[in-house]
Amino acid sequence: MIPRERIRNFCIIAHVDHGKSTLADRLLEVTGTISKRDLTEQVLDQMDLEREKGITIKAKAVRMLYRALDGLDYQLNLIDTPGHVDFAYEVSRALASCEGALLVVDAAQGIEAQTLANTYQAIEHNLSIIPVINKIDLPSAQPEHVADEVERVIGLAREDCIMASAKTGVGTIEILEAIVRQVPAPVGEASKPVRALIFDSHYDTHKGVVAYVRMIDGQLRAGQKIVMIQTGITADLLEVGAFRPKGVQEASLEPGEVGYIATGLKSVADCRVGDTVTDASRPAPEALDGYQPVKPMVYAGFFPVESTDFPLLRDALDKLKLNDAALVYQPETSVALGFGFRCGFLGLLHMEIVQERLERDYNLNLLATVPSVEYEVLTTKGEIIRVDNPSGLPSPDRIDTISEPWMGIQVVAPKIYIGAIMDLVTARRGEYKKMEYLDEGRVLLQYSVPLAEIIIDFFDQLKSRTQGYASLDYAIEGLRAGPLVRLDVLVNGEPVDALSLIIHRDKAYDHGRVLVEKLRGLIPRHMFEIPIQAAVGARVIARETVRAMRKDVLSKCYGGDISRKRKLLEKQKEGKLRMKRVGNVEIPQEAFLAVLKLS
Amino acid sequence: MILRLGGGDKHIDPMTAGGPSAAYANRVRLDGKIGAPPPRWHTPRSAYIHVPFCRTMCAYCDFATFAGVEQHIPAYVASLADEIRIGSPGANPDVPLETMYLGGGTPSLLEPAQLETIITAIATRFGARLNLAEVTLEANPGFNPALIGSWVNLGVNRVSLGVQSLDDPTLKRLGRTHDAETAIRAVEALKACGSISVNLDLIYGLPWQTLEMWQEHLKRALETEPDHVSLYALAIEVGTPLASQVSSGQWSVPDDDLVADMYDVALPELTQAGFRHYEVSNWAKPGHESRHNLAYWRNEAYHGFGVGAHRYIDGRRSWNVRSLDHYLAAMQSGRPVEEGSETLGPDATPGETAMLALRMRDEGIDFARFIERFGIDPRERWRTIFDEVAPHGFLRVDDSRACLTDRGLLASNDIASRFL
Repeated sequence: MIPRERIRNFCIIAHVDHGKSTLADRLLEVTGTISKRDLTEQVLDQMDLEREKGITIKAKAVRMLYRALDGLDYQLNLIDTPGHVDFAYEVSRALASCEGALLVVDAAQGIEAQTLANTYQAIEHNLSIIPVINKIDLPSAQPEHVADEVERVIGLAREDCIMASAKTGVGTIEILEAIVRQVPAPVGEASKPVRALIFDSHYDTHKGVVAYVRMIDGQLRAGQKIVMIQTGITADLLEVGAFRPKGVQEASLEPGEVGYIATGLKSVADCRVGDTVTDASRPAPEALDGYQPVKPMVYAGFFPVESTDFPLLRDALDKLKLNDAALVYQPETSVALGFGFRCGFLGLLHMEIVQERLERDYNLNLLATVPSVEYEVLTTKGEIIRVDNPSGLPSPDRIDTISEPWMGIQVVAPKIYIGAIMDLVTARRGEYKKMEYLDEGRVLLQYSVPLAEIIIDFFDQLKSRTQGYASLDYAIEGLRAGPLVRLDVLVNGEPVDALSLIIHRDKAYDHGRVLVEKLRGLIPRHMFEIPIQAAVGARVIARETVRAMRKDVLSKCYGGDISRKRKLLEKQKEGKLRMKRVGNVEIPQEAFLAVLKLS
Repeated sequence: MILRLGGGDKHIDPMTAGGPSAAYANRVRLDGKIGAPPPRWHTPRSAYIHVPFCRTMCAYCDFATFAGVEQHIPAYVASLADEIRIGSPGANPDVPLETMYLGGGTPSLLEPAQLETIITAIATRFGARLNLAEVTLEANPGFNPALIGSWVNLGVNRVSLGVQSLDDPTLKRLGRTHDAETAIRAVEALKACGSISVNLDLIYGLPWQTLEMWQEHLKRALETEPDHVSLYALAIEVGTPLASQVSSGQWSVPDDDLVADMYDVALPELTQAGFRHYEVSNWAKPGHESRHNLAYWRNEAYHGFGVGAHRYIDGRRSWNVRSLDHYLAAMQSGRPVEEGSETLGPDATPGETAMLALRMRDEGIDFARFIERFGIDPRERWRTIFDEVAPHGFLRVDDSRACLTDRGLLASNDIASRFL
């Protein structure tokens, strides 16, 4: 067994594509944790979706044994951190489980917004930070320039930067040695009551919930009865062990170690990230700091395209929930879309992942409504109501004020894009806070922006206006009251609830006009004229008309080929059946998707 | 051999002929026994014969047609004659054939001897029972007028001319080989022979066509005094040259409203010229309605012979291979040429019949016929559809039938699809 003094717990902070996964693979290979032969590219990103999106969604931990140049064996635990701001809380718990961090910066790209945000967070957690300039083999690499940036922006000495190429293996030994020398050994006592921090978990069909834990004090063994201090949930440990990178059972988990515990629990919601595991027979008096129950930031309705799929959707959500404590949902009924679920997500990426998983793994065809944030409404009677669905907004005469969440955002981009970014943020009701030059070419911009303005298309717009050069990070600042209204869409006089949204009063007119214009192109002509109106309260602010159908005909019968004609018409009929009916108007699914792509 | 046309039937108004089987109830059967003949929706009175050869391919065409393979015509004619003698199963020897339609392709490319081979085969197969009221030959305006006499001798009494347009640049763009002048002369020559009912096919809604152009060309076409016209709104079919020209941006898809305007201006023009609008795309001088096509629209049975041909016999639809090589090879080695089939159940057939019936402007869904054929009263089965569609002026329902209005005919897909 490796003594606590020779344990090193660290994570890797890197921007998407800066080479985190490749570096992790190299570390696993050099330490012999995995043979080159078994190294399917990027071991840490297990799920297909993660690979496709080039990001790590869930944190994981791998234990490596490394014989250092001093001749001694060290236990190195690499805790992988999620690479997206949606999972900021999981990142914070991963950081809380480490004593050190590798800050990986692309030698050609330099520091990005999120790297910066995570680095500051790591510094707050008192982590020892080892800067690594990666991809020095690239022709466009400017390692010296990036080292200067690291020194100026983060305050780490440029000469401490390790020059590396995870691709070629250059610098890997230097990195391992720096971890051994610079990252402090964990502290903790075996004799104290057990305290272990849960920084991630997943559901396993055989072992129930498997939690990733960082041991602080005490020991955990199979057979022990444990209790989660925050939720009070108890479990009997089926197994303890470490991932190397496959799960390997261990006799115990000791102070300072990182490993897994198999709990037999049925849902990850019972084993919440940030909670503290302790021994049920000898509980620790206090939980570890920093626990926060997950709170959704973005809400949307998910409706099955085929209404008969509703029970399937419910089962699928129940199953996903087993492995995703952050997902919340409750049944919702829409006049236009029928039965579905109002779902809450950590952010847009989380929403996208859940939707893709439902569609891909459960074969469901879904319609998602416009994402919404959670508003706080103060009624004229003095009550406070939380509203995450435009249809739940009280009538205007009952509203005193509506408050919405605002975010602090940081953007890092080449300075030539300052104007473009400023335009975008201003159009999204953003407020300028400050600007800092990272070097002569790049700036760090800080703004406050309402979350509602970020969740629809903000990141894509930012990327396209800066030709992909800008990076973004954001964190919640708080609620602010504003002149918000509900914009409704009426088709042939009937409100279409799934198209309503809450919007700033000054934007309602433009948005309403663009929306009805777009809908006019998407709603097929019927046998009668269809007015499409955008309205705030009783006031119509924009109107378009879908004229009555005139031509929809197959001229010819193709020399008696009646089957073909019938099949064409059957297809047309099926297409109509897939539409959603509001009043006597058939609205195609594209119309509901179109509102997602406005602005 | 020369066909003898069925005597009196030729002068029966096609719109009233071929109605309920009651009309036949008291006929003496050919075997001398008295009794009702099998119903028209089970046993064919019509035969379609496909001649797939063309000199060139037209830009909009996606039928089973082939250009540049004229060397196969003799072999094809021989195979076709074989198929007619042995194929199209389920023919009832007691039921006379009433109509025959030589479509294509370009049947007018065939030499008289080749046409005779085909018609002889029909006579052999249907022999003494042949009682043809209508024999249609599709022709392209570039045919040799000297052939007309031989056509008449063979029994042809209706020619459908693929004029398509009377605008030379348009004809060129469509890949047609004739010009307007040729087309007009062709109509004149056919009319001059006195015993041929002449139909003109015209296409409207072409991407480059203006409303004024269309009006002008329709007018010129009507001045040739045809007996029947078919006006087809252009459909851009996948895989045709026109479709690729549209997707490459050379043309844009014609605007639906403009196409509707073209239809609207044609209606009074045709009425004034003495035509009766009897089907979505078809207008006829009284008595010149196409009996053969009416059989399709009434969802009645028909034989089909030739490459890609369809047939409907005893409630079963089937179709031949579309490839000329496969067709010839199969016929020569005695293998079946049928490629696929479908049989609609008793639930689906009434809907399909309604879909077709609505194409007929005045006949529409004839309640008595539906009750006789299916034991179903359309007013009960489709009440909700009638109630939904009628108030918008697309459908009119009276005591005996439900018919599409002029507006409704142009939007018939939306309405007809509801019955399926």
